[in-house]
Amino acid sequence: MVEKVKEALRIKIADINITEISYAERGYHLSIEAQKGNIVSVVELFEGKGFYLADLCCVDYVDYLELVYFFNHHKELCRSRVTLKVESDRPVAPTISHIYTMARWYEREIHEFFGVYFEGHPNLTYLFLHEGIDYYPLRKNQIPIPADDKKLLNSFKPEEEEDAFFINLGPQHPSTHGVLRVVIKMDGEYILSAEPVLGYLHRMHEKMAENRTYQQFLPNPGRMDYMGALNFNLAHVTTVEKLCGIEVPERAQYIRTITCELNRIGSHLLWVGAFLADLGGLTPFLYVFDDREQILDILEAVTGSRLTYCYFRFGGLYNDVDDAFVDATKQFITRLRSRFAMYEKLITKNVIFINRVKGIGIIEQGMIRKYGSSGPVIRSTGMPFDIRKVEPYAAYDKIDFEIPTGTTGDNMDRYMVRMKEMEISLGIIEEAIKKLPSGPFKAEKVPKKLKPPRGDMYHTVESPRGELGVYVVSDESDTPYRMRWRVPSFSNLMTFPALARGTLIADAIATLGSYDIVVPEIDR
Amino acid sequence: MNELMVIINIIGKETVRAIIGLIGVLILVVINALILTWAERKVAGHMQRRIAAKEVGPFGLIQPIADSLKLLGKELLTPVNVDKPLFYLAPVFIFIPVLVSFVVIPFDACLQVKDINVGILVILAFSSLSVFSILIAGWGSNNKYSLIGAVRSVAQNIAYEIPLLLSLLPVIFMVNSLSLKDIVEFQRGGWFVWKWQFFAFLIYFIAAVAETNRTPFDLPEAESELVAGFHTEYSGMRFAIFFLAEYTNIMIVSAVAATFFLGGYLGPVLPGFVWFLIKTYFLVFVILWFRWTFPRVRFDQLLNFSWKILIPVGFVNLIVTGGLLKL
Repeated sequence: MVEKVKEALRIKIADINITEISYAERGYHLSIEAQKGNIVSVVELFEGKGFYLADLCCVDYVDYLELVYFFNHHKELCRSRVTLKVESDRPVAPTISHIYTMARWYEREIHEFFGVYFEGHPNLTYLFLHEGIDYYPLRKNQIPIPADDKKLLNSFKPEEEEDAFFINLGPQHPSTHGVLRVVIKMDGEYILSAEPVLGYLHRMHEKMAENRTYQQFLPNPGRMDYMGALNFNLAHVTTVEKLCGIEVPERAQYIRTITCELNRIGSHLLWVGAFLADLGGLTPFLYVFDDREQILDILEAVTGSRLTYCYFRFGGLYNDVDDAFVDATKQFITRLRSRFAMYEKLITKNVIFINRVKGIGIIEQGMIRKYGSSGPVIRSTGMPFDIRKVEPYAAYDKIDFEIPTGTTGDNMDRYMVRMKEMEISLGIIEEAIKKLPSGPFKAEKVPKKLKPPRGDMYHTVESPRGELGVYVVSDESDTPYRMRWRVPSFSNLMTFPALARGTLIADAIATLGSYDIVVPEIDR
Repeated sequence: MNELMVIINIIGKETVRAIIGLIGVLILVVINALILTWAERKVAGHMQRRIAAKEVGPFGLIQPIADSLKLLGKELLTPVNVDKPLFYLAPVFIFIPVLVSFVVIPFDACLQVKDINVGILVILAFSSLSVFSILIAGWGSNNKYSLIGAVRSVAQNIAYEIPLLLSLLPVIFMVNSLSLKDIVEFQRGGWFVWKWQFFAFLIYFIAAVAETNRTPFDLPEAESELVAGFHTEYSGMRFAIFFLAEYTNIMIVSAVAATFFLGGYLGPVLPGFVWFLIKTYFLVFVILWFRWTFPRVRFDQLLNFSWKILIPVGFVNLIVTGGLLKL
């Protein structure tokens, strides 16, 4: 695939700088330097080859800004980084939002954080921020937002029309899972358009990362996604480890796998409860909490916290697990296996439930590429794409497991995929416990103050919601120069406006619930 | 004593009976709501593997009283933008039909406020009035969620009133009377639910759950979609009255089901009204059970179910019953 892309680029676009990169060192295969003149055709070429837009971010190098586009292919791993340099004073870049729909949100984000104006973008308004902010937050120098740009940022206004009315679903609403706001234009019970409004839980974790050492940032990722805190913790830790070249002992790798899978099951369990609550069935919510409680107890015993874990350290773990942990986990596995039959009776075979979710909120395979969706959302469409398999981290390469897929990509498939994933996670844990080697749980000689070599690193893990990518740029200091978090819910949620259009409000809420969005993760 | 008799003679015996009866009904309504709030919490708790209310009083029995005191003590908030007269009237309107319906229900052979020969018509007529007050509440609240809830409620109530009626008509055909007492007495030979009218009972019960806006048909107040539907803007005692009406409605539909299909107050050994209450509260329990088991249906599914399944089946049942009676 790498060769094919290189050749196609060489043929189509003359005069382009392509470098092949060592995947093990940097986390991507290809680095392409595009210019303003040819960036659109480069992106079009990637689109034509069936790539999806994994991430789009910006790095401020003071003299110039660098837009970084990450592409990847669902069928064959080929991570490509396309960079585009723009001037630091009133930067302008061409938009790619007409090629990849997801770029609409990424470009809005870059626009409000860096002040890059995207020519041709339909709606460059605030995504996360609000009026009260006078400087571009992620720029290295304090650059005030010019008045005309502020006016542009502020121009979001739903158009009132006759025969339609607007309803604000959120930020305080029982089924928006936190503080998501969706502006819905409705005609009776039918939705004409739905526009998610983000930023109610925005805390600027990316800026925080720039002001803290790598160790000091350890507790932050868990706060982004409180449901899959360990997975976020792991993403941060493994990225920095790869950047610094720290070897992690085998035992730590296995324990990371076990705890992450426990965390994943906990997240999926809660999702089942919340999804059913969205559909009006309140009892499963309590049942799943019963099961999840066991996971929390197990994880509390080893990590010391129950929700926002910070258990992994650079080169290993905070502490070792003991026999009690192993026994408790084994007990939990038997317990949860016996409970699946009950869930099947209570939920999966319930006629009302089936009628509510079957054939609703269908995501097509062609769509996921435009949006860069990941996780159970894409697996439900029948695409067996799982970072644990394609780019194994921790001990996943030593464990045999299958990837559950759906067929149609509707709400029912997303439910079934998550249920199946829990069973498979139990299998992974079981196998990892069987293979759990003895030995040190921490790498020796990890310096107190990490100063990674100059360079960048893109690393992904599979969080319960999908592909979680961390892009770190290091300048040899003890704080990252730029740390970018590519979060899965963000690009999953972007498909919502397309799915909600023309559906009943009840179905739209079921679809919104089926994404398993975690708002603090979207807002960061 | 003589003076009392004189007063009674002046007012008229029937009036005195009606007044005493209404006071009794009022007490019953309040006690029923207290019991049902407690029962709902307990049923929900045990179905969800938790203990539910237990701190206030033995088994948490005093909890509903504490709750109602709390609601009584709350400030009656009126949002600024509401349509004030309608907003105030809705809780009152929802309460009146509920009270009237109890007048004709026979709790025992001689325990009935008034045996009217069109008894069931009174219940049906007044219970359809409650949709009015829901519409008023939804409109008067000046809230989009409330309005959607109210509109849903109207569509739902109209759709489900028809199967409700269709399921009761065969019984009326067989008894040849609209008086609830006659219907109960007719069942001395066997309850209607076992004899002839099992399908009618099923249709009635499903329609009744929909009429009372309970899960799986709780669309007017669908929490995950409409926050609380038509009573989103209500708080304190006004909210409590909506609650009271909902629980009383549950009891009324269960009482009518018990009267029509389960033999009312008939039963061996125990006194009649005990049998009546056992049957009624068993059905109430089933309705609570539904709520904590099923997810909610979608709006079009709800209407389709009524128009495409319940009403045709109800009609067939009606025609078959009528035909068999003529033979």
